[in-house]
Amino acid sequence: MTTETIQPLSEPVFNHANGRLLMPDNRYWPSRKWESPWSLPAYRSGAAVLAGLLSGAAAAAWLVGELGPRVTPLYYAAGHYALSLGVPAFLIKIVWTVIKAALLLAVPLVNALFAVWWERKISAHIQSRLGPMYVGRFQGCLQTVADGIKLFLKEDIVPDSADRLVHLLAPVVVVIPAIMVFAPVPFGRELIFADLDIGTVYVFAVGGVSVMGVIMAGWASGNKFSLLGGLRAAAQLVSYELPRTFAVIPVVMLAGTLNISAIAGFQAGYWGGLLPRWFIFYPVVGQVAFIVFLIASVAETNRVPFDIPEAESELVAGFNTEYSGMKFALFFLSEFAYVLLSCLLMAAFFFGGGEPPLPLLGFLPSWAWFLAKTLTLMFCFLWFRWTFPRFRVDRLMDFNWKFLLPVSLLNIAAAGVLIWFIS
Amino acid sequence: MTDTISTALKTGQMFINFGPQHPSTHGVLRIALTVEGEVVVKADPDVGYLHRGMEKLFEARTYSQALILTDRLDYVSAMSNNLAYCLAVERLAGIQAPLRAQYLRVLTAELNRIASHLVFFGTFSVDMGAFTPFLYAFREREMILDLFEMLCGGRLLYSYIRVGGVNADLPAGWTEKCREFITFFKPRLKDYDTLLSFNPIFRDRTVNVGRISASQAISWGLSGPNLRASGPDYDVRKAEPYCVYDKLDFKVPVAQAGDCWNRYYCRMLEMGQSVEIALQCLDALAAADLVPGEIMAKGVPKMLKPPAGAAYAHIEASRGDLGFYAVADGSLNPYRMHVRGPSFLNVAILQEILTGCKIADVVAVLGSLDIVLGEVDR
Amino acid sequence: MKNYLSFVADAFVNTLKGLWVTLEVMCLPVITVQYPTEKLVPYPRFRGMLAYDAKVCIACGMCVRACPSRCIALAKAAPVGDTMRHGVPARIEWYTIDYGRCNFCGLCEESCPTKPVKALWHSLDYEAVFSTREEMTRRWERGDTLWGTARGADGQFAAVADQIHIQNVPVRPFDRHSP
Repeated sequence: MTTETIQPLSEPVFNHANGRLLMPDNRYWPSRKWESPWSLPAYRSGAAVLAGLLSGAAAAAWLVGELGPRVTPLYYAAGHYALSLGVPAFLIKIVWTVIKAALLLAVPLVNALFAVWWERKISAHIQSRLGPMYVGRFQGCLQTVADGIKLFLKEDIVPDSADRLVHLLAPVVVVIPAIMVFAPVPFGRELIFADLDIGTVYVFAVGGVSVMGVIMAGWASGNKFSLLGGLRAAAQLVSYELPRTFAVIPVVMLAGTLNISAIAGFQAGYWGGLLPRWFIFYPVVGQVAFIVFLIASVAETNRVPFDIPEAESELVAGFNTEYSGMKFALFFLSEFAYVLLSCLLMAAFFFGGGEPPLPLLGFLPSWAWFLAKTLTLMFCFLWFRWTFPRFRVDRLMDFNWKFLLPVSLLNIAAAGVLIWFIS
Repeated sequence: MTDTISTALKTGQMFINFGPQHPSTHGVLRIALTVEGEVVVKADPDVGYLHRGMEKLFEARTYSQALILTDRLDYVSAMSNNLAYCLAVERLAGIQAPLRAQYLRVLTAELNRIASHLVFFGTFSVDMGAFTPFLYAFREREMILDLFEMLCGGRLLYSYIRVGGVNADLPAGWTEKCREFITFFKPRLKDYDTLLSFNPIFRDRTVNVGRISASQAISWGLSGPNLRASGPDYDVRKAEPYCVYDKLDFKVPVAQAGDCWNRYYCRMLEMGQSVEIALQCLDALAAADLVPGEIMAKGVPKMLKPPAGAAYAHIEASRGDLGFYAVADGSLNPYRMHVRGPSFLNVAILQEILTGCKIADVVAVLGSLDIVLGEVDR
Repeated sequence: MKNYLSFVADAFVNTLKGLWVTLEVMCLPVITVQYPTEKLVPYPRFRGMLAYDAKVCIACGMCVRACPSRCIALAKAAPVGDTMRHGVPARIEWYTIDYGRCNFCGLCEESCPTKPVKALWHSLDYEAVFSTREEMTRRWERGDTLWGTARGADGQFAAVADQIHIQNVPVRPFDRHSP
């Protein structure tokens, strides 16, 4: 055999036999692509598209303006009009509550639609691949819709040895608190479903009810491995609630209120005209509280590195093994709903939700800033998932009881010292 | 008091099949575990699910046909299998491969070692729950597979190393691509260290897990990085050099602790050393004194008929000490060809190591031994 | 206490370093080839599906003996006047390859002695798909024309766009009396 040269094709060759484009080989070696990505036209155009999308979104947000202050006048105007038509007052209140409940229901649904797609794209790009590209014209954006339709149409299988009623109720008990918990959470200035004065307590209390659903799911599968998995999951969820709540206590101490939108509003203003008065910038206390809250939230939502309950490897099957179709979709939905909740809470408690980071960026409305901060934190959740390996179960509990909880308690003490220092 | 408690609680042992189908796949291996609570009391590896009767198949084929069967033993690093087989048959027939062919053999074997350790790295990290390093490993491995495709036409199963030399010489442009790959790969090793090796969660799961002492390792017949991570400094490339390893300058990583992390890290360091060996081979091949094209020993007949006798040749494959014992009876087919598969001996130590481990550690220990079922079951 | 604090700090720093690695890779181009819209052309030595040129074959049977999986069978023929190539009559009656048994080792291609082009070679086709086992055995008969091109007379590959596709070769008729 004579030595032949590897001739990389300089132009893509069109294969007339089957009508497809043949690509030359040397374009896909990472060494060529990664040395100078900016020399590739596809990379430049991708970056331009991304920049265009972001600036377009910012311009749209600026044009729309503040949404919160517009709601109350609208409500009063509509209410007066209805009263003038002779509709009784209590009926107007009921209709308004129903409208708010319907919008509240939409929050986790829209979130799931977007978050699942975003997670798949982020995980793909972290892994040097593309993710959904096909469904939907732009980067597979309708992939989640297709998956949702698929899950809807799947057969609902209930194992023989399962308790049918509990099997049916478990996803319900998990999902309903996941929807209700968004009620006192602000989405912008005055953009809130129910401005509760005990908002913080309400959020953590209602969030805790979902743990019951997890135990029910494990028990109702009629399978000892799922039961073990469910109990383990419940133990993890309950134990990580403690540092999570204790991490928020310094914030509550500093702000002096449990009302979440009031806490967010407390962080308005700038030190020296430059540094925002966000709780994360408070010396030591703010940073430690944020980190503890972040880690505990990742554990609460069963995300890697704390995803033992739903890990497919390891011997013990997760608590949601025996669920298929829409019931599985509800578990999935509740996980993403809690991720969104954690991000919203972090934005409100630590990042002064709604307040721009610099005074001159104030042209964007508060809901846009809130959204930006929430999405950045959600990106952190996704980022952690695809970087870290998984904790072993006993090490997970050790981490909580021997590290996070003492640190969060010490943080409360430090917050006391800080308050004494300030006043 | 304790008696009443233990009888009242009715604890018992549970039998679990870490069955032939399981998510942390390393092939079809079944481990019959008896657990008490969370702790493994008895572990029984059950092999044979991938047995294809290879040693019998060898006897029905000529020496050059049997070569392609050897690819399929440790299919992740096929070049090493070819190399061991060819060394054994060459010893039988009294053939000596030319120097250029030997450098090519070493170069491809070391590149294959890198590819095989990349598979180990990827699958071990998936076992630990980190999915990203798996894709990084396969991105690098894809480049090695492309290099092999340019060289011999195969991406997984090569049949490149032949009795008497190698099959084909380097095509023009191959050395540049190989150097390009090496330049790309060296910083990636540091990336893997940052991403996985020193990650506190990963270390938490693998340090002090599955400790194998040096005497245990030697008495159970371990070889390769499994042995060297426990202390004994035995590498066939240094102890009984074959091909041109005595001319090359490289180090062999040895550790003392013998836990999962040390076995993992020995392999990572070995990848770095393989890169050094590959660079030295490339430099030697580019030197003027090795005539291009002299890749096959002169006078090797097409239908090889070695004289009656027996020979054993062993090499340091990616998994450990791979040996071929060839017995010829003067005919076209080998009379007996026995494979000393390192994974077969490595998997036996699970019986001793897994007792006392937690269930969650079974996956870590199994992954760190890096077995390939093709070699275990043949 | 100092040990504990330094351990915590060390763990924290290593965690952040790992996060940075993934962030860096996220911002770099992807390496995916979007099959089937984009297809890679294999390198020239790639061992794809076997292809056969009946006009060049001299029916020596070396490939039959070389194959480790015994997937090739052939029958010689007496020369017939109208199937000449380069003035040499075609020597083959029929030739079958069982693609189910082929293990793509290339030993048959190496053993084929015809010059300047081989009668049996591994094409660059990696997309052959079969739906039944009978379909996997393909048969060339004396007089069949060759689909696609192989290496030319100068030993170089013809345009890769014209590579042979196995789907164009007829399936061996399932007949007890013909092998």
